[in-house]
Amino acid sequence: MGNFTKGILKENPIFIIMLGLCPTLAVSTQVVNAIGMGVGVIFVLLGSNIFVSLLKNFIPEKVRIPSYIVIIASFVTMVDLFMQGYAPSLSKNLGVFVQLIVVNCIILGRAEAFAKKSNVKDAVLDALGMGVGFTLGLLLISLIREVLGSGTITLFAIGNFDGVIRLPGLSESPVRVMALAPGALLVIGYLKALFNWTEARRSKEATA
Amino acid sequence: MNDVVNVGGKLALICAVAAIALGLVNAVTAPAIDKVKEQQLSAALDAVRGTAEAGEERLVEGEPIVDGYYALVQDGTSAGYILRLTGTGYAGDMEILAAYRQDGEIKAVALMNNSETPGLGKEAEKPAYMEKYIGTGAGHPVPMNKQQLTQEEADAISGASITFMGIAQALKAGSDYVKEQLGK
Amino acid sequence: MSYVGIIITFVFVENFILTKFLGLCPFIGVSKNTESAVGMGFAVTFVTSVASLATWAIQKLILQPLGLAFLQTITFILVIAALVQLLEMVIQKISPSLYKALGIYLPLITTNCAVLGIALIAVRSNYNALESFVAGFSAGLGFLLAILLMSTIRERMNTEWVPKPLRGVPIAFITGGLMALAFMAFDKALLRNLIG
Repeated sequence: MGNFTKGILKENPIFIIMLGLCPTLAVSTQVVNAIGMGVGVIFVLLGSNIFVSLLKNFIPEKVRIPSYIVIIASFVTMVDLFMQGYAPSLSKNLGVFVQLIVVNCIILGRAEAFAKKSNVKDAVLDALGMGVGFTLGLLLISLIREVLGSGTITLFAIGNFDGVIRLPGLSESPVRVMALAPGALLVIGYLKALFNWTEARRSKEATA
Repeated sequence: MNDVVNVGGKLALICAVAAIALGLVNAVTAPAIDKVKEQQLSAALDAVRGTAEAGEERLVEGEPIVDGYYALVQDGTSAGYILRLTGTGYAGDMEILAAYRQDGEIKAVALMNNSETPGLGKEAEKPAYMEKYIGTGAGHPVPMNKQQLTQEEADAISGASITFMGIAQALKAGSDYVKEQLGK
Repeated sequence: MSYVGIIITFVFVENFILTKFLGLCPFIGVSKNTESAVGMGFAVTFVTSVASLATWAIQKLILQPLGLAFLQTITFILVIAALVQLLEMVIQKISPSLYKALGIYLPLITTNCAVLGIALIAVRSNYNALESFVAGFSAGLGFLLAILLMSTIRERMNTEWVPKPLRGVPIAFITGGLMALAFMAFDKALLRNLIG
């Protein structure tokens, strides 16, 4: 169980180990994109962790990194193709960043640091924990950015509901910079500082 | 030497299995992707053709922006054209479908495939976004920069002026094409 | 788009780090001092230039004619990985001093999102061979510029007092955010005025 829960808070990939930020911050302008990207990353992480763990005795040590990359890229392509075919609007929103999941350092990082020396069950738990932790982190960033930057929360359209929750006041005059590139960097900076601060307080309490 | 064969062979095997698996996935998703593209095109065509009927697409070669056009017919008489245009957006090409009158005036515009930023450039997908272009191209010039917009319109595109200008440039080129090549 | 346009676009207007967050990991991780930042910057520029050209060739000469576009991601990333390996060996052979300067950064570049990013964007934008090369080179140059600015700011900040929770990575992100804000002054309107 610990293999699952550690990814969510204690080793949260985004806030604690700071991995996999590059190809994902750009899609954190809307909540729905964060959910889509999160699902994509969980799928790829699960697939790559399972296969790396299954093939750990087959893959030669010397070419392990290229082998991992091939496995990861295969799952990324599957996500990309399925999104294009069955979730076209999401695929359009995420654009090139779906393919860029390949270079999301979390996935290669988990293959190298965990999956290659674990059994399949642990690898699955690790992938799920890291994936959920990553998604929650991205969700938090996108929620802050969308609420402040556009004054809306965009979810999935169901029936008459167009999927967009508009916040009175904010949606008429949003803090537009938060939806732009600088907003993402500022949000992640302050969130990381918040994490550092709570972490420092907790360890102080523990020693006192 | 044996080691090289062993290591290389295993890597090649992994690649081959991956390629075959992707081929299978592609075989499953390709029809769905084609269907999505067709639906998008026909939905966009429906959105811009109004009450007129669009004919078969004619492809245009050797033009940087205009890719193809459909002749519009209403009640048996020619009612202008729909042009398929490629504009340069913030993040790569944008596919645009625009209906013109014979004299090059813009009647309706729809933004199709694009990789613009959600919440910013992507706003151009909303029908209301295109209102600032409609009715321009013949009597009035197509707005090409923010100074030609009302304050409200200019505010609405702040942060996404690249998208705005990319669309404007494509629409202008389309209007010129109608005037010079089609509308005689 | 003209070549000057592509250069200005990818160095300033669409600076990879500051507008698309591509290459963010090394931007934060390797910007503690100017020397290593410059080394990383040049290594990335080198790889993005060559990789954009190589991936262009693969896309236009192999994947598209054979209808294998679905293998794009996998071939691009493998080509980039192989290219980085090759470059490492070539540089080591012909210029040991350059290898000493860039060598340690090269292995890190395979998973630098900027390299795959520019390769994919060049293909999506339908650039020709030379345009792809120029785009790759400019994207690398933009990376170099941003990381160089960042490292000089961080070197200065070392002597200043920063609230404890903000020290290190958080203040680096916030600095990056302010830089991104400054870079917003470069937009296509400026570009159009500059080159008509």
